[in-house]
Amino acid sequence: MTISPRPATPLIYPIREVPAVSDAAYLASLKKVTQYYIVTAFLALFIGVLIGPLQALNYGGVNVYDIPIVKALLGSYYQGLSLHGVLNALVFTQFFISGWMLYLPVRDLGMRINMRFAWFTYALMTLGLLMAAVPLLTGGATLLYTFYPPMQGDALFYIGAAIMVGSSLLVVGQVVNTWLRWKRENPGRVTPLVAFMSVATWMMWAVASLGIVVEVVALLIPWSLGLVGGVDPLISKTLFWWTGHAIVYFWVLPAYISWYAFLPRHAGGRTVSEPLTRLVFVVFLLNSVPVGIHHQYADPNISNLWKNIHMFLTFLIAVPSLLTAFSVGASLEDAARARGGRGLFGWTLKLPWGNAIFSAQVLAMISFIAGGAGGIVNASSTFSGVVHNTAWIPGHFHITVGTATTLTFMGIALWLIPHLTGKRLPSMRLASWSVWTWFIGMMVFALGMHWQGLYGVPRRSQVSAAGVEAFNNLPIALPTLLTAISGVILLVSAILYFYVLFRMLLSGRVDNGETATPIPYSEAISPAGENLATAGKLVRATEPLMALWLVALVLVLLMYGPVLARMFANMQLVPGWRLY
Amino acid sequence: MAPPDAPAPRLEHHTLERYENVWFGIAVVLSVLLFVSAIASFLSGTYTVIEGTGGGGHHITGVDNGRLDPRNLAATPFAEPGLRENADGTLEAFVVARAFAFQPAAMRVPAGRPVTIHITSADVMHGYQVEGTNINATAIPGQVASFTTTFRRPGTLSLICNEYCGTGHHNMINTVVVEAPETQAGPQDGTQP
Repeated sequence: MTISPRPATPLIYPIREVPAVSDAAYLASLKKVTQYYIVTAFLALFIGVLIGPLQALNYGGVNVYDIPIVKALLGSYYQGLSLHGVLNALVFTQFFISGWMLYLPVRDLGMRINMRFAWFTYALMTLGLLMAAVPLLTGGATLLYTFYPPMQGDALFYIGAAIMVGSSLLVVGQVVNTWLRWKRENPGRVTPLVAFMSVATWMMWAVASLGIVVEVVALLIPWSLGLVGGVDPLISKTLFWWTGHAIVYFWVLPAYISWYAFLPRHAGGRTVSEPLTRLVFVVFLLNSVPVGIHHQYADPNISNLWKNIHMFLTFLIAVPSLLTAFSVGASLEDAARARGGRGLFGWTLKLPWGNAIFSAQVLAMISFIAGGAGGIVNASSTFSGVVHNTAWIPGHFHITVGTATTLTFMGIALWLIPHLTGKRLPSMRLASWSVWTWFIGMMVFALGMHWQGLYGVPRRSQVSAAGVEAFNNLPIALPTLLTAISGVILLVSAILYFYVLFRMLLSGRVDNGETATPIPYSEAISPAGENLATAGKLVRATEPLMALWLVALVLVLLMYGPVLARMFANMQLVPGWRLY
Repeated sequence: MAPPDAPAPRLEHHTLERYENVWFGIAVVLSVLLFVSAIASFLSGTYTVIEGTGGGGHHITGVDNGRLDPRNLAATPFAEPGLRENADGTLEAFVVARAFAFQPAAMRVPAGRPVTIHITSADVMHGYQVEGTNINATAIPGQVASFTTTFRRPGTLSLICNEYCGTGHHNMINTVVVEAPETQAGPQDGTQP
């Protein structure tokens, strides 16, 4: 069972149901393009994840990169690592989100979109991916996923990446346009919550992506084609982190959508407060982007005033995540108490832990509590010097994007694919094993990596092949062992998950997804209401997203403008290098 | 009072709103406190602050606004990497990172005296990280990172490149040798700046 039955007691507010779509061919096409995005995402994750255990073994002190087959397939540790990072962090996330956050708002608003445009966007994004894949696979772009110049890759890599990332802006356009049409057709109505969260997230991403788009299109592509003589590495890196930090909210907000709107239903509970949820997303829209300089405490030629301002804004962005922890925690408690849960903590036992759709997302949230706390450590200039670019950092982002986001998406796919295709999840038991082992594996990995990092073991370094004695004297035997073990646990988890996923995808249609696995909307304890005129202050203040989008853009320009202007005034172009 | 087996009342709007507000207050206070502590740490110098201007207080030949031409390090003090004592008695070190070693490969510094270290790269990005300390600076071609630190205890520390720089990245490890001043010899290693 993937969805809890409706409560027996009459509801004060009815649970939302998606507006019916009468045109079956249109609905089938919308579902199909969504499915293509989701499946492409998981194919990328499949390849990316299989490389992961080799890297865990590297940090476990075992060098497998001299084995002929590994060498033939991956080229080198650094080429494998580039693939792992790009496929998991950039491709998997962007494709999943593009499908998920296209489908949800369109269905939630009950609008018709131009399917030709939607398919074109998917095709373009995939084309960009395939173009970038060629140099990645042939060793022409062993740059890691940060691709800091002046390390130079093939022009095809930058062009492909630009097309892929640029395509996501077409999804932004289509979703925002759909929402605006809905607004015109429904004057005075409150945007339904799922659509609101999706539109706000896409707007945030549009502002966030400007940094990387300008970096790649205006600076790196002309440079890699030899049209300009050099590149300023600091300007590029600053533009990269304009996008590079906000991208983490682009990764977690689609998970938040599920935690707020759908997770309570899987457990039989209610969303706590729609107005508060809207506020959380507006804060993310405004505050996600002007924080990126906290990735650059170690960099010269950025004034400490701006570093401290970005640190302050980074701490502020912890507030909406703390509010999310409260709201989602309360909605789970509400669910558990409705199921007869008792006691201060005893209620947690009543939650449906055997339902992989539910447990994947709650384990993802638990992982994010640790990950978020670690993120605050990373963001503080005081601790940054101790952890910056050490193994601590991959330890951190494997329990944030690698678990909070990825495990949530893994859980969502278990109902979304049946909903889209009418196929059935072949085994809840195997799915459960896969999500629990993912959680445990990532926790062990994070423990080992954070711990090694504190002793100064650098991140993304082939430490297992280092010819120097530096690491032999460190007391890291235990964390090293933990990291190696985690790689094995995660390999088992991935095999289980992808077995379930591919078996589901390759099975036949048995149900009508619309009725057998509907979109699992939850009841709300405090709904936002339907009419703006009668809605509360918070609802009315958060409704004008276009104006808030503009404010977000202005804020970013204010917080980045002076920093970048000074860098451009002192631009120092340097030549490119290929040292891989 | 409700009998013990009666169903617990479900959460309702007003109770939740009260807790929400308390939680929101805690979250905001927490964030502000974190910021205040980090600023206190910045002002009191408990961590190594990378200079915003790159110059480290005084002008370096061939370096403008913290920038230099990596193809012409010969025109700057980076032509001769290493530690030097200025006429005013201050210690200043110039370090060049290039694939795949730091120059000097074993930099000797005295314990207990402030040292201003300037770092640049001759090729791609590198990272300057000293094991067991909070010294962590990016070596960027065309830019100079400067900071002032004091190594407290004598010993040999690994100097690790922590920014990916190519095939030899993992072997880009050299040392900083912290030497005891004549008066105070000690066998212990490890340091806290």
